[in-house]
Amino acid sequence: MRFDLSVLVPHLGFLASGAMLTAAVCGLALVGSVVLGMAVAIARTSSGGWARRAAYAYVDLFRNVPFIVQLFFFYYGLPEIGIYIDAFTTGVIALSIAGGAYASDAIRAGILAIDNGILEAAEVSGLSKRVTFTRIVLPIALRTSVRPLGSVLINMILTSSILSTITLNELTGQAKIVASDTFRPFEVYFVLLVVYAALTYLVSIGIALLHRRLNRDLMGQVS
Amino acid sequence: MLNVENVRKTFGAVTVLDGVNLTVKPGEVVSVLGSSGSGKSTLIRCINGLERLDGGRITVDGFDVSRPKELAEARKRSGTVFQLFNLYPHMTALRNITLAPIEVLKRPKAEAEAEGRALLASVGLEDRADAYPAQLSGGQRQRVGICRALAMKPSYLLLDEVTSALDPEMTAEVLNILAKLAGNGTTMVFVTHEIEFARQISDRIVFLEKGVLLVDLPTRDFFAQDGGLAQPRVAQFLSKMRKD
Repeated sequence: MRFDLSVLVPHLGFLASGAMLTAAVCGLALVGSVVLGMAVAIARTSSGGWARRAAYAYVDLFRNVPFIVQLFFFYYGLPEIGIYIDAFTTGVIALSIAGGAYASDAIRAGILAIDNGILEAAEVSGLSKRVTFTRIVLPIALRTSVRPLGSVLINMILTSSILSTITLNELTGQAKIVASDTFRPFEVYFVLLVVYAALTYLVSIGIALLHRRLNRDLMGQVS
Repeated sequence: MLNVENVRKTFGAVTVLDGVNLTVKPGEVVSVLGSSGSGKSTLIRCINGLERLDGGRITVDGFDVSRPKELAEARKRSGTVFQLFNLYPHMTALRNITLAPIEVLKRPKAEAEAEGRALLASVGLEDRADAYPAQLSGGQRQRVGICRALAMKPSYLLLDEVTSALDPEMTAEVLNILAKLAGNGTTMVFVTHEIEFARQISDRIVFLEKGVLLVDLPTRDFFAQDGGLAQPRVAQFLSKMRKD
C-alpha cells in the first residue's frame, strides 16, 4: 500500500472540528476537576468528620474504576432511573469527576507541603482560619501543584478519546468516521497519533512556563 | 502587664517548663537566656498561644491565653518574630506586613500600606516593599518579619531567637533595629543567645535551666559576682558562651 496523506486533505476541516470539541470538553473538565479537586482536598485535609470520610471514599472509588465504566454508567445507566444527560455534558461531568480525584491528590500534597511556621505566623497574628486558608494556604498549594495538575490535564486529553464511545465525536470520534469513509485507517490514525502527541507536548510546555511564572518569586527560596 | 504564673508544659514524658513565673511590665525589655533545650522558645510559644499549657496561667493585659474567647484579644496585644522568619513566600514584603492589619484590625488598605511603608523605611527597606521574601537576604527577611509584627501595634514584642539563623553581619543589621526599638520604649521579651547584646538593651535578664527559671534579676545584678554569677549554672553558661 501507498502512504498518502493527501487523501485526508478534504477531511481536515472535519477533523479540526473534532479537535475543537476535544479542546472544549477538556477545558471545561479542567475547570471542573480543579474546583472539585480543591473542595475534596480541603475536605481531606480537614480535621475529621463525615466530609473527610466522604472525600476519601470518592477518591478511592473513582481512581479504582475504569473510566469507560464510569462513563457508561453515567450515559447508559442513569437514563434507566430517569436521569438523561446529553453526551457533551456527560463527557464534561465524567472527566471532571475522574480528574477531580487525581487533582485532589495534587492539591492535597501542595497543602501538606506548606511550612508549618508560615501557618503559625498567620495564627499568632490573629488571622481567621478562613482568611489563612484563602489567602495563604490555597495560593501556595496551587502554585506548588501546577505541575502535577498539568499531568492531570494531559491525562484528561488522552482519556477524552474514550468519549467517542458515547457518540461524542471529538477528535478520535471524527477520525473513526474519516477512517471508515476513506478506507485509509493507516493514514488517519497516523495523523491522530501525531496530533495527540503534539497537543500534549504543547500543553506540557505551557504548564512548565506557567509553573515558572507563578513561582518566579519563590525561586531560590531556602525552604 | 504580661503575667506568666507557675506555668507547666510537658511533651510526653518530658517536662519543658516546670513552674515558670515571669512578669513583664510595659516598657520593659526582658531577655531570656539559657542553653538549647532549656525551654526558652517553648515559653514564647506558650505566651502567644501556639502551645497549650499543662498547668498555670498566662495573661496578656489581663486576657488569659488558655481561654479560647480571650486568646484573640491576648494575641492582638503581642507580636511574634520567629527564628526562621516565617514570611508568607507568595506575598511581597509590603503585603506580608499589611495582611493582618487589613484582615484582623480592619484597617483601610491605603492606611495600612502607608504605615507598612513607613515601617519598612524605619528598618532601611523602603526600596524593597515590592520584593518577595526569596529575593531578600536573611537579614532583610527578618527585618520584614519585625515590621510584620510591629504593624499590629502590639503591646509586647516576642522575639524567638531572631538572629540564630543569620550570619554575624546580618545579625548586626537586626540587632541595630532591636536596639532602636528598645530605645523608644517597645516592650520586649527577647529569647536569645546574644549575651552581650542582651546585656546592653535589657532591663532584666532571666535564666532558664531545664524548664526552671533559675534567675530573674535586673541586668546589672545578673552579671554581678554576688548576683547571677553566684549561681554556678549561670557562671558556667556565661563562661562557655563567651569562649565559643
